[in-house]
Amino acid sequence: MRRPAALFAAAALATQALAAADPRIDYTLFCMGCHGAEARGVPGKVPPLAGAVARFMRTPEGRDYMLRVPGAANSALSDAQLTAVLNWLAERDAAAGEAAVAPFTLAEVTRVRRTPLADVPGTRRAVIRGLTAAGGAAPALDY
Amino acid sequence: MRSLDRMFEQSSRLLAQRTSRRSLLGALGQLLSGAALLPLLPLARGGRAAAAAARPDVNNPQSCDYWRYCAIDGFLCACCGGSTTSCPPGTVPSPITWIGTCHNPADDRHYMVSYNDCCGKTSCGHCDCNRNEREKPTYRPSRNNDLNWCLANGDDSNYHCSVSVILGVVPPGS
Repeated sequence: MRRPAALFAAAALATQALAAADPRIDYTLFCMGCHGAEARGVPGKVPPLAGAVARFMRTPEGRDYMLRVPGAANSALSDAQLTAVLNWLAERDAAAGEAAVAPFTLAEVTRVRRTPLADVPGTRRAVIRGLTAAGGAAPALDY
Repeated sequence: MRSLDRMFEQSSRLLAQRTSRRSLLGALGQLLSGAALLPLLPLARGGRAAAAAARPDVNNPQSCDYWRYCAIDGFLCACCGGSTTSCPPGTVPSPITWIGTCHNPADDRHYMVSYNDCCGKTSCGHCDCNRNEREKPTYRPSRNNDLNWCLANGDDSNYHCSVSVILGVVPPGS
């Protein structure tokens, strides 16, 4: 009986941590400076998040890339805050017509973001080629 | 009247017998030095120190001490033909910005502030401010406000001045 109780307590804590984060405030303070108020980025310089986050989240490699890209992995956001911000961006994409995707879990973010990407543009190109092969729209290739 | 004359005569003689002319100088000297020491009492000095510590221009948009400029590094557009929130004619705001929070002493709340560089003309040169509160560029390069944010403007990458735009209030406890 002890193990389920402990698991329940851990789940409750994780839920509390997610509930405490306000993704709109965190996006403004930690992402908006470069990605812009509408998350559209700067053409040719700063990659857009709007319309891109949900697309990346369709494949395991894309999810991995989203969590390890420097702006996410190195941000001052906690794991719970980063989870909330990325899921909030994906929800906005879904509301704008993108296919709905499984949200990031706190455990997934905690596990993946710790490993930095050695070659960000190369990884991005490989991930986007995989997304294109899987069918459906993919984010812009080069950034 | 005679009794009054007698009384004053007696008191004058008594005074003359008991005091010297030099004692008047002594008493006057004590009074003068006492008056000179009055401003040095701690009560008056404490009040002045508190007033000097407060920034007098905390609500002046053309002063580096304006509360919205807590981490600004550059020329104030309010001194360059623009305003606190608008670029001067002939310049355009940078698409990427420095975003942080500043405390407004008037309502004791923290506001999210975006410092947008205005680009397209050479440096304004007026009201050069460099406050950098809570800036830690070595640890957080994205918070380095020495950057020329106009670099994202392509052909208009000349830096002219900076504006300070309020994005919202930080909810208490976050």
